[in-house]
Amino acid sequence: MSQHQILNPADHGQLRIHTEAGAEYGDNVMASLAMPAEFREVQAHYPIVFRRDAETGKLAALALFGFEAGENLYLEGSTWDARYRPMAHAVQPFLIGRPPEEGAAPQVHVDMANPRISASGEGVRVFDDTGAPTPWLESVATMLGDLDYGWHEGDDFFAALEAYQLVEPFTLEVTLDNGAVQSLVGFQTIHEERLAGLDGEALQALMAHGHLARIYMVLASLAQFGNLVARKNRRIALG
Amino acid sequence: MSTPVEHIVIVGGGTAGWLSACVLGARLRGKRITLVEAPDIPTIGVGEGTWPTMRETLATIGIPEAEFLVACNAAFKQGSRFDGWRDGWADDSYLHPFTAPPAADMRDLAAAWQTCGQQGSFAAAITPQHAVCAANLAPRQRAMPDYAGALNYGYHLDAGKFAALLMRHATQRLGVTRIAAQVTGVSRAANGDIAALLLQGGATLEGDLFLDCSGQAAILIAGECGAEWVDRSDVSFNDRALAVQVPVEPGSPIAAQTIGTAHEAGWIWDIGLPTRRGIGCVYASRFISDDRAAEILRAYIAAKVPGSDPASLTPRKLAFRTGHRDRFWIGNCLAVGLSAGFIEPLEASAIVLIELSLKALADNFPQSRASMDIHASRFNELFRYRWDRVVEFLKLHYVPSQRTEPYWQAQRAPETIPPRLAECLALWREQAPSAWDFPRIDEMFPAASQQYVLHGMGVPVPLASTTPAAPARLAEIAAKARALAAALPTTRDYLDLLAAGSAAARIPA
Repeated sequence: MSQHQILNPADHGQLRIHTEAGAEYGDNVMASLAMPAEFREVQAHYPIVFRRDAETGKLAALALFGFEAGENLYLEGSTWDARYRPMAHAVQPFLIGRPPEEGAAPQVHVDMANPRISASGEGVRVFDDTGAPTPWLESVATMLGDLDYGWHEGDDFFAALEAYQLVEPFTLEVTLDNGAVQSLVGFQTIHEERLAGLDGEALQALMAHGHLARIYMVLASLAQFGNLVARKNRRIALG
Repeated sequence: MSTPVEHIVIVGGGTAGWLSACVLGARLRGKRITLVEAPDIPTIGVGEGTWPTMRETLATIGIPEAEFLVACNAAFKQGSRFDGWRDGWADDSYLHPFTAPPAADMRDLAAAWQTCGQQGSFAAAITPQHAVCAANLAPRQRAMPDYAGALNYGYHLDAGKFAALLMRHATQRLGVTRIAAQVTGVSRAANGDIAALLLQGGATLEGDLFLDCSGQAAILIAGECGAEWVDRSDVSFNDRALAVQVPVEPGSPIAAQTIGTAHEAGWIWDIGLPTRRGIGCVYASRFISDDRAAEILRAYIAAKVPGSDPASLTPRKLAFRTGHRDRFWIGNCLAVGLSAGFIEPLEASAIVLIELSLKALADNFPQSRASMDIHASRFNELFRYRWDRVVEFLKLHYVPSQRTEPYWQAQRAPETIPPRLAECLALWREQAPSAWDFPRIDEMFPAASQQYVLHGMGVPVPLASTTPAAPARLAEIAAKARALAAALPTTRDYLDLLAAGSAAARIPA
């Protein structure tokens, strides 16, 4: 159950956040939302796939950490073995809230039910004794701003994919070292043949809006599946 | 080849004796070590502050940090704060932190601090440790590797429990033999060396090298080997202390540094442990009476320890002579600890001098009797140098004071200031303290320490041109201070969690 509050020094003056990696802090997840604006960093570490929302039909991008629910193959104890974590995951337990009135500035909310909320006196403080944001909160707030921007900025990218019908269902089946078959279903990826068949005018339009580079970064990220399988095999081998 | 040195015999089982047993046991594998201690002699047990050197010492000995912290009821010490030394007014306080700035930057930064109008105290401008200490925060997080920290630190500890831990470790894990007996005399070799100790009950204990850790009794180095006492009370006046342990309320903040508060004729130490505060009034008996010192101590406790009952406390009275031996190593006998010398614990020099003695011995261990006199001569020269520097550095805390009581005026009388300190003070009006003043390996109080005290006491920074980058460096230090203050837990939370975890591990499920 989440428990969102508007972050403020009066209520959260002594609040501390666990910032290290760990399953106990909710890092045992198989995927995180990835913003098209961060594809350059994400594709260097994780496969990027798309998922279509069952209700709205809207596309979103995901960075994959594992093959099944609760599996994060980058997480080893308190170490997250990758230099970059997608912003939507890294900002936890914070999120962006929007006041009901039109045009109001977004607010920083905190989910007090998130396991990163510390009750032990350890962890990083959010506000200092004067009520000013700590340097750590300032960096998180910057990332929240980037995330908010990335979320809205991504709409055009997905609209373009739809317009040129560039996504197709994606199924992966690999045989692991121990003979088990690992499959991944329910995701979408770039339709490479249609991409290859686009005419100059379409390519020009995609390029003009910066979409084309991101499309190729998604394609390039699929090479990370090899690393993901290797991580899975290693984990099985280590028992 | 002369007689090899195989068997080390340590006399005395306090902090000095057991620390010697552990360090030599860990570093001199293959040597036989025996410690003999009288079963009924209580340890003096007021040396309860260490330097950061203790982290390396404990790591060398092989005791995990969490085990040490829990077993010794220990807390972190990040420096010393001096209250009331400058003029005794309300805001008179400065910090001598353990974290030194990069030496190359220090002069520049000090000049920038002065040029920028001395906003905040010197230590606050120079190191992020000031902010961390002010908020009672720990210098490390529990997830960090043993003996690593975000800032430099030592410990406050229960000296009795520390000696007990070291004894267990030495005897159970390092193969040190313990003999409980009183030493009644010695037998001599032809060359005058100590050949064996005579123990009560008639037994003898032969050895190749004898460490005198018998405390102020100094039964070997003074009693047998004839080392002379070098009195330093002409410089360092204090000769008495009233010591008391004050229980603290659960959950109360634990101070990050030793607090030394000046009074009319001396000062008060205040050392915070998780369950108690060790508080003591140090004074000069020729300026105030024992009763007056007790009044000062009680008034301090009433004002500074919430929930305490000063009237119910019975302080322990300690009388001490300030000074040291003229030689610390004579023949095959080496004095380590209080047997070598004593001075008021203003900068917690007692335990670190033990560590430095053991480091010098283990780094330069005589493999045979043939080299021993050469080592002894070098050791004596080195530790006479160190004692001189300790005496001078402690005196530096008094000389710039503007307090007006007779004791404080006497402290700055020119005839009580050692000539080398007087020279340095004259130089430091024109140039900053530097490695030119303190050129040795393992200087106890390098230039940065001198500057923390000098500028903390209000002595101005000598005029120097500052580089344009210096103010930006000061801003970086301030930013680092904010980041550390946000990330570090309070010492109280750290130690309570550690104790809870340790109790949970002991209680079987």
